[in-house]
Amino acid sequence: MNNPINLRRRIHNIIAVLYPLYFGSKYLKGKRWVLYSVISISIITSATRLLIPVLIGDAVSSIQSLNFATLEYFAILILIVSAVSGFFQFFVNYGSQYISQLYAYGMRKNIFDHLMKKKFLFFETQTSGDLLSRSTMDVDATRNFIMNTTNQLLPTLFMILFSVVFLFILDPIYSLIFIVTVPALILTGVVFQRKQRLHWRKIRTYYGDMNEELQENIVGNRVVRGFSIEDEEIKKFSSTTNSYFDEYMDVARLRGFYNNLMPLTISIAATAILLYGGYTSIINASQVGNLVAAVNIFSIMTFPISFLGRLIVFSENARAGIQRINVVLSDEMQEDIQGPNRTKHSGDLEIKNVSFQRGKRYIFRGVNLKIPQGEIVCITGKTASGKSSFVNLIPRFYEPTSGIISIGGRDISQISLSELRRTVALVPQEITLLSGTIMDNITLSDTTLSTEAVVKAARIADIGDFVDSLPEKYNTRVGERGITLSGGQRQRVAIARAIVAEPKILILDDATSSVDPETELEILKKVKEEMSGTTVLIVTHRDSAIKFADRVLRLQNGSVEEIFDITSDLKGITDGYTFNNGGDSNAA
Amino acid sequence: MPRSYEEEEEDVLKSEKGAKVFRRLVRQILSHRRDSAYLIIAVVVTAIAGTLYPLALGLAINGVINRNFTDLYIFGSAFLGFYIIQFFSNRIRTISSTGVAQKTIKELRDRAFENVQRVPVSFFGKVKTGYLISRITNDAETLSEFLTFQIPQVVSGISTVIVSISIMFYLDFNLTLYALIVIPLLSGFTVSIQRMVRRNYLRTRRTIAAITGNLAENISGIRAIKSFNVEDRMATRFDGLNNDNFEANLKAARLSSIYGAIIRVIEATGIAIVLIAGAQQLLAGAISVGILVSFVVYVQEFFDPVTQLSQLYNSYQSSMVGITRIYGIIDSTPDEGAKAGNKKVESFSGSIKFNNVSFYYGDSPALKDINIEIKKGEKIGIVGHTGAGKTTFSNLLLKFYNPTSGSIFIDGVDLKTIDTNTYRHLIAPVLQEPFMFRGSIIENIKTFFPEATDEMIIDKAKQFGLYPLFENLESGLNSEIGEMGRNLSEGQRQAISILRAFIRDPEILIMDEPTSQIDPYSEKLIISSLNSFLKGKTLILITHRFSMISLVDRVISFENGEKVEEGTFSELLNSNGVFRKMYNIQYNTGA
Repeated sequence: MNNPINLRRRIHNIIAVLYPLYFGSKYLKGKRWVLYSVISISIITSATRLLIPVLIGDAVSSIQSLNFATLEYFAILILIVSAVSGFFQFFVNYGSQYISQLYAYGMRKNIFDHLMKKKFLFFETQTSGDLLSRSTMDVDATRNFIMNTTNQLLPTLFMILFSVVFLFILDPIYSLIFIVTVPALILTGVVFQRKQRLHWRKIRTYYGDMNEELQENIVGNRVVRGFSIEDEEIKKFSSTTNSYFDEYMDVARLRGFYNNLMPLTISIAATAILLYGGYTSIINASQVGNLVAAVNIFSIMTFPISFLGRLIVFSENARAGIQRINVVLSDEMQEDIQGPNRTKHSGDLEIKNVSFQRGKRYIFRGVNLKIPQGEIVCITGKTASGKSSFVNLIPRFYEPTSGIISIGGRDISQISLSELRRTVALVPQEITLLSGTIMDNITLSDTTLSTEAVVKAARIADIGDFVDSLPEKYNTRVGERGITLSGGQRQRVAIARAIVAEPKILILDDATSSVDPETELEILKKVKEEMSGTTVLIVTHRDSAIKFADRVLRLQNGSVEEIFDITSDLKGITDGYTFNNGGDSNAA
Repeated sequence: MPRSYEEEEEDVLKSEKGAKVFRRLVRQILSHRRDSAYLIIAVVVTAIAGTLYPLALGLAINGVINRNFTDLYIFGSAFLGFYIIQFFSNRIRTISSTGVAQKTIKELRDRAFENVQRVPVSFFGKVKTGYLISRITNDAETLSEFLTFQIPQVVSGISTVIVSISIMFYLDFNLTLYALIVIPLLSGFTVSIQRMVRRNYLRTRRTIAAITGNLAENISGIRAIKSFNVEDRMATRFDGLNNDNFEANLKAARLSSIYGAIIRVIEATGIAIVLIAGAQQLLAGAISVGILVSFVVYVQEFFDPVTQLSQLYNSYQSSMVGITRIYGIIDSTPDEGAKAGNKKVESFSGSIKFNNVSFYYGDSPALKDINIEIKKGEKIGIVGHTGAGKTTFSNLLLKFYNPTSGSIFIDGVDLKTIDTNTYRHLIAPVLQEPFMFRGSIIENIKTFFPEATDEMIIDKAKQFGLYPLFENLESGLNSEIGEMGRNLSEGQRQAISILRAFIRDPEILIMDEPTSQIDPYSEKLIISSLNSFLKGKTLILITHRFSMISLVDRVISFENGEKVEEGTFSELLNSNGVFRKMYNIQYNTGA
């Protein structure tokens, strides 16, 4: 402690406990006055609460001197002071709740808005469970701390100050004894906090592991069973829950010591007062009222002070939560969505010298390509050749490392995302439908779309007949509380959703992988017939789509080559599908 | 379909079920005998010490009044003594209550997880993954607060009240009656607002559940939201739910704040009554000033347990709902097949025989009267449209389900009676949806084959033509695959799934659309490497594409759950059935 830097750091550590309150206050917008009012009012409640032991002491003195008139006076005063204290306590409690809930509300809104603006890459670097826990548990940890700070921590600190004052009035020595205990209490708190920090961190890590192991095990239940590794899985999970348990026990042992050390410290001081006060009272033959008041003040302070230990834990959790929340709130990986609505650009697509890299590795380099409006282009290539990355550049889900992509003659990096994505619709392979009806899902882009438009799109996507076979047709609910659609059905709903938005460029990124070949052909046929004028990019490694294409491109070794003679190349591809026993010749 | 939170909560709280579940929980807690014994002793000792110190204080004060130094020192030390006892007993209480709580929670999690390994595969079709995870992690966690703090608090509160009332009656009967006047007032008030508290509480829970659900959906659906520019609409919807939660919480806060304020007034009333009545008793010579001081402290101490009881109720409610769901998972019926079968199999030497096998999902038939015989070493192709029953066929063969009627015989033994574990050791599946664990590709394989070395895995990948598929990854087979394998393409995931099955080197290989996401060039490479590997092995290949048909000796076509054709490739192509039609469509020859 004699080292000034060390001391400063220690003081900093103590003040840091309150950091979540400071952080939270930034999200109260125009309601910061509520926070200040609550803090001011809690000064009154703290004072009135401590006034009661003093009044009790006076009452006892009255009894001791058999002065019943003053006894009644003090009894009534106790009632009045309590009523006043209770009245103000209401504002402190309600105000703390109000502030903390306002913070939670504002913070969730903030996180949500930021999430909506994040780039795709962000969602690929974060697990969904992690994002979810940031927006719920981490926000709640801060909220919890803010609430407990305004209705427990700050009042306790005020009460400590008032205790010093009141005890001083009763007897300066009482006050001195109390003051001596305060650094001891703070030191206990600080040591406790430092010792348990690492354990809490580990607890959170193990909790995360538990979640991930469960998720994998449940999603992979067939593989686990298929390879009969159930027992290994049980062992693995049990060892994680065991580590979790061990950490909790370590915390409990620390808590058992330090948390109970605080009330013990206070009671040692209370005993000192009792003995000292008793001694002087006997010597001076004075009233016991002051002594009773002083001891009572200590017994009132025991509970709030021992609660301080838990508040330190709350602060720890809140600060860890804030760190994780800040990852979402940072401006990194933000998209710029703004721009005029409704505008659509033409479907001419030009790609000039575009390269794309992931990490240090180039997926493709220097690609040049022109696709005039209305053309249907098939993009093939080996597994993981970068087909999907390539088309994801067009709606700017990914950004190219270099080069320019333009639509209708305009560089897409200069077009607002809302315009661009109105022009380009991309249907990915894996589809998540939002909860709601099938209609809600198809009309996602525009809720004012007519039923005819929806039915037409559903017909093109070959999902119309299926929807009609459902009792509630387009009003059938899907998702968490509705029916579960198969992968192929989800893909078809997603295609309908894209078609109904009437994009100028439609990208099907392996969007029919779970649909059977016949249906796939039907869909592509109808898309070709009914969406003339729309530029269509089909990513696939199957030959069946190729016959609908005006042009076929192949991604290979980081560059795009055009296959000019489709028929001869088709032959090359289908060679892979032919049979040893000479199936080709059998075709009618 | 999982029911809504409110439905479940109402169900648990309104019926006898809550009490029953609670009793089961208590039994489970008490089964940790040492910890719970320590806990109970510690709690009771703490409570007794806590109720004795006001008496010591009163007697010490009496000593002061009577100018008796000895009394002051004796009772003053006793005062501190009781606190020191409390320090030790509270320490034991903290440790043992965490012990009991965390042991119980660990046990619940482990048992739930274990049962998740035993339930039939069909269970996962009914229950959502997120639901299961949240039960085993979150719901178990909510118990922590309840078990660690609330339950010991109740025991402590009850002991405190009993001990202190006894002491008070012993000290002065009449004054005790006066002191207890506020108790009916306090408990009456607490009970009367419970209904409102509960309603408010339910609303806060419901609204926060809605927020979590909405968030989860928005995160998983972020692609669609961005694609269609509906970020603002989604934000408005979220804001609505967020606001509902805010309002619900404020309403609950208003009530609890009023409660807190009124409690304080009731407490003061109690103290005033004791002071005035105490003065009368003092005058009558029944008590001393010191005892009166003790009474004042006792009245103050009554209020803590009672106000804590009101918090307990909320914690009790959410814990009971949580634990009911966890017990629900623990009690789910385990896989009947696994339980019934006890015949161990070590090898496969004869044949697989489907004898009149039918299978129903609920009421709808997926397979009808299937009769098939597959001899050891045979290579069978199962073809048919989506929904024809191909995957159901493989699910039955993998014993994920048992047939609704009919039997499957392995070497003449009914599959139902065979021990699932030993049977599955003979098989390697390549499932339709390839599933990945965390870690690198190599680590992933090692999850299944802990004894495999890096070199061996790389060799195998090269041997089966799978290696080139990973060449574009930064660190090849040592690349991290990310959550659910998302750093990889579908095709790469399938390749891992295939590699896994090949390394197992099984007697029977069951492949369900193994290469649907792999490009024809790579597929060709895989197929050509397979010929030698498959020698002597039995292959069941399920597909609605024809790319791998060259590997099979015999093709069986399914349609609407029935076997419609069986024969060699040329036989089926020459007959005018499903197979021929499918072939024509895919090769555009005459469709």
